[in-house]
Amino acid sequence: MSESPTQAAAHGGTSRARQYLTIFFLLFLLTVIEVAVAYVHGYKTEVVVALFALALVKAACVALFFMHLKWETRVLRATVVVPLSLPVLYALILISEAAWRRLAG
Amino acid sequence: MQAAAAHAHGTREAIWPQDAQFGRASAGKIAMWIFLVSDGLSFAGLLLSYGILRGESEVWRHPDEPALGVAFTAGLTFLLICSSVTMVFAYEAALRGERKRTALLLGLTALGGALFLLGQYSEYFGILHPGLTKEGLVFGQSAYASTFYVITSFHGAHVFSGTAYILVTLVRWLRGRATAAQIELLGLFWHFVDLVWILVFTIVYLIPTG
Repeated sequence: MSESPTQAAAHGGTSRARQYLTIFFLLFLLTVIEVAVAYVHGYKTEVVVALFALALVKAACVALFFMHLKWETRVLRATVVVPLSLPVLYALILISEAAWRRLAG
Repeated sequence: MQAAAAHAHGTREAIWPQDAQFGRASAGKIAMWIFLVSDGLSFAGLLLSYGILRGESEVWRHPDEPALGVAFTAGLTFLLICSSVTMVFAYEAALRGERKRTALLLGLTALGGALFLLGQYSEYFGILHPGLTKEGLVFGQSAYASTFYVITSFHGAHVFSGTAYILVTLVRWLRGRATAAQIELLGLFWHFVDLVWILVFTIVYLIPTG
C-alpha cells in the first residue's frame, strides 16, 4: 500500500498534487459525460443505469482519494463502506419489488 | 522480560491486546467518520423517500411546473469539485507548514462554498432572472416540488455550515491555533458535502422526468 499524504509529508515524500489533479480532471470529464447522457432520449433504463454508474464512480473517487479512504486501515474502510452500502441494497430491493409488481399487474 | 512486563503494567499495551489496527486513526478522525456515516444515512433516507414517491407517482412533474436547470446546476457541481481540490491542496500545504498558502487555499474553498450558496439562492428565488419559486415550483404543491426543496436545502444547510466551519478554521489557522490534523477533519466534512452533491445532482436533476 502506498503512503498516505500524512505519511508522505512526515517522510519528506513527494506531493500528491499530480494525483489530485488527475482526479479533478476525471471528475470534470465524468460530469460532462453525465450531462450528455442525461439528454439522450428513448433509452430511459440504459440512461438511468449509466447515470447511477457514473455517479458511483465519481463518489468513489472523492471518498478514496480526496477523503484518503484509500490509505486508511481496512477496519476504518469497512466501518464506512458497509453501513453506507445498506441503503443501496434496500433501494435495489425496492426497485426489484416495483418492477415485479408492474410485470405481474 | 519481567522488567518489560513491569514497565508495560498499567499502560495501554498492558490493558489492550496487540492489534495491528490500533492507533492508526486519531479519535477526532474516527468521530468525524462516525458523524459522516450517520449524516450519510440521513441523506440516504431522503433519497430513498424521493425514489419511492417518484416511482409510485403517475405524473411526477405536472405541465405547469418548471423543469430543473441542468446546465446551471452542472456549473454548481463543477464549482464544488473545484473547492474540493483547493481543500486537498490546503491540507497538503498545512502538512508542509506553508502558512500563507494554506490560508489562501482555505479562503478559496470558502469562496467556492459561498458562490455555491449564491447559485442555490439564484436557483430558488432568482437573481437577474425569475427563480423556480416564481416559475411555479412551490413547496407543498406537489411531491416533485417538496422533495426538491427538502433535499437541496438540506444539502445547502451542509454547504452553509461547511463554509462557516472553513472560515472558523481559517481564523484559528491564522492565529496559530489550528493544526494540519484539524484541517484534515475539516476536509473530510467538505469532501463529504461534495460527494453527497454528486448523488443529489444525479438523482434529482439528471434522471429524466419523461
